Amino acid sequence: MKISHLGLLAGLLFAGIVHAADAPAPTKLNTTADHSKFKELQREFGSGSEVTKACLTCHTEAALQIHRTKHWTWELLNPATQQRLGKKNVINNYCLSAGTNLGSCATCHVGYGWTDASFDFKSQENVDCLICHDTSGNYKKLPNGGLPPVKDTESPPGSGKIVKAIDLAKIAQKVGKTSRDTCGACHFFGGGGDGVKHGEMDSSLASPDKEVDVHMDATGLDFTCSTCHKAPAHDVAGSRYVPTGKDTEGAHIRGKVDNSNPATCQSCHGQAPHKAGAQPAKLNQHADKVACQTCHIPQFARGGVATKMNWDWSTAGKLSPEGKPLLNKDAKGHVIYDSRKGDFVVAENVTPEYAWFNGEVTYTLLGDKVDKADGITLINALGGSAADGRSLIWPMKVMRGTQPYDPVNKTLVMPHLSGNDDTAYWTNFNWEKAIATGMKAANAPFSGQVDFLKTEMYWPITHMVAPKEKAVGCNECHTRGGRLDKIEGIYIPGRDAHQLLDLIGWLAAGGTLAGVMLHALVRIVRRKN
Amino acid sequence: MKVHRLVSTLIACGLLCASTLASAYDADWKRGRIYYRSVCTSCHAAQAIGAINPSSMSKAEWNAYLQKDKHAKGKDSVKQYFSKSYRASIRSQNKAADKFADLPDDELFEDVKLFLLKGAKDGDAPASCG
Repeated sequence: MKISHLGLLAGLLFAGIVHAADAPAPTKLNTTADHSKFKELQREFGSGSEVTKACLTCHTEAALQIHRTKHWTWELLNPATQQRLGKKNVINNYCLSAGTNLGSCATCHVGYGWTDASFDFKSQENVDCLICHDTSGNYKKLPNGGLPPVKDTESPPGSGKIVKAIDLAKIAQKVGKTSRDTCGACHFFGGGGDGVKHGEMDSSLASPDKEVDVHMDATGLDFTCSTCHKAPAHDVAGSRYVPTGKDTEGAHIRGKVDNSNPATCQSCHGQAPHKAGAQPAKLNQHADKVACQTCHIPQFARGGVATKMNWDWSTAGKLSPEGKPLLNKDAKGHVIYDSRKGDFVVAENVTPEYAWFNGEVTYTLLGDKVDKADGITLINALGGSAADGRSLIWPMKVMRGTQPYDPVNKTLVMPHLSGNDDTAYWTNFNWEKAIATGMKAANAPFSGQVDFLKTEMYWPITHMVAPKEKAVGCNECHTRGGRLDKIEGIYIPGRDAHQLLDLIGWLAAGGTLAGVMLHALVRIVRRKN
Repeated sequence: MKVHRLVSTLIACGLLCASTLASAYDADWKRGRIYYRSVCTSCHAAQAIGAINPSSMSKAEWNAYLQKDKHAKGKDSVKQYFSKSYRASIRSQNKAADKFADLPDDELFEDVKLFLLKGAKDGDAPASCG
């Protein structure tokens, strides 16, 4: 017994020595810094800003870099149109505008505490590092200007719903590179819910399979957002406000300075991406007129998450006989009516609509004249045509809505929706009060009258790239009534007919046939003779 | 004699603990998510039992289930589905099994465990299968 125990002991010691001699010391291979070892982060944090202060002791320039980005300012000057855009300024046909709703909207701001105009945009400690660099998946921000819950908090106040406190130290000790989860925490949930806004960005992209997206396929290429959306000095490339309609540059090459958008298909695949298959040259010719996305994203909302396609604010405000707000769902559990918001149409596996697009986008902003009599108001009018040489045929999600406007001043409006005050629409269901508050805060005139008009908003589709076997087939466009039926200014064989061209074709074919038959007849007759 | 045996056993246990601590594994819930969804869920979904959301059980229930190590009402073990041999057997049809083919069994198990505890109904981020 004694010998056997000593043997066991010796064996374990020997194994340990051999293991220690052969194996390199264990370490993390996905980072050069284990943040749990930093003394600055080994303490309790009473607020997000305290974490930021600790981050800045090493990352001294990070907050100042963030201050220069649209993720911080929510503002962007479009150099082509001179329009001042960004979330702070635009109006959409989902939740309408940030405006006085910042308490909720700023949950997705990379800062702490933006609820009104008094927010200090020059404060480095107001920058939220964790919203982008959390790897634990446990980080949360509350609709109070985006402050994290450091203690159990009832949110919204008076709702009875308790949001559990998060441990900021644990989260800070696990920071790392951005991921689909961190970017997606906001971009998958734009418009107030999963997949609502974009159509081709929803929570299914957090860990998708190849069928949903060939690039982000979690068991394959596993791209993160920043694989394409490069972010030098924290400034993320690829803007929806100033998009690239037609990238004429070649693929980006290491060591070669290239200032073109790194998030386009061409920035990796170049201008002649088709190398194999039945007719690679013919397919490459299409790239001159057709965006890659047009063929390679046959449908959007393919990951099992429905996207909103229509939002009718004019029906909002209906209450139950007991005076309670209503919430109606369809058979699949999607909300299709909400007293606070009106009627919705949602859809999955949506075939895009198509339009010429050259990258120019002109928004209808607060103060721009709109008129119900004009029919549909375009929230964002796209530039592009077959003739300008700068456009491609792009797939689009077209969001249709009916939203409030001021029929006297003839402008879109920015209503005050969220909040526990007497004028918030989601509390009091009174448009006049809600719009008066929102417009006053925006320093814009409001007549006191409210009507509703129909709007459309265009979203170029660029994510959810399908496997090449699932790309749009030739016959889906080269046919009458096909996908490109409404595209003007271009001759699409199979879809289009030109009488003179058809006549020449038929004459040529008929003439050839007649010639062959005549020749055959002559030979038969001569052989008999 | 008894004292000697006790000392030897304690030293042996100490060495084992030290060895375990030295290689204390920092589990990766995202990798666990991929494996759970691609292997566990895809197989369950194809059978009558259907997919099982992480949020269908509490953290305590998941811990108890994993500790008990009984799959299919005790017909086999849970842990075997995280073994290299199992991954090797399905890797030609399953991309997650192929991607993580060489990962140590206990690391993959810890990854999935962390995802399940995080996604449990009382976890930090209750999760569905989708």
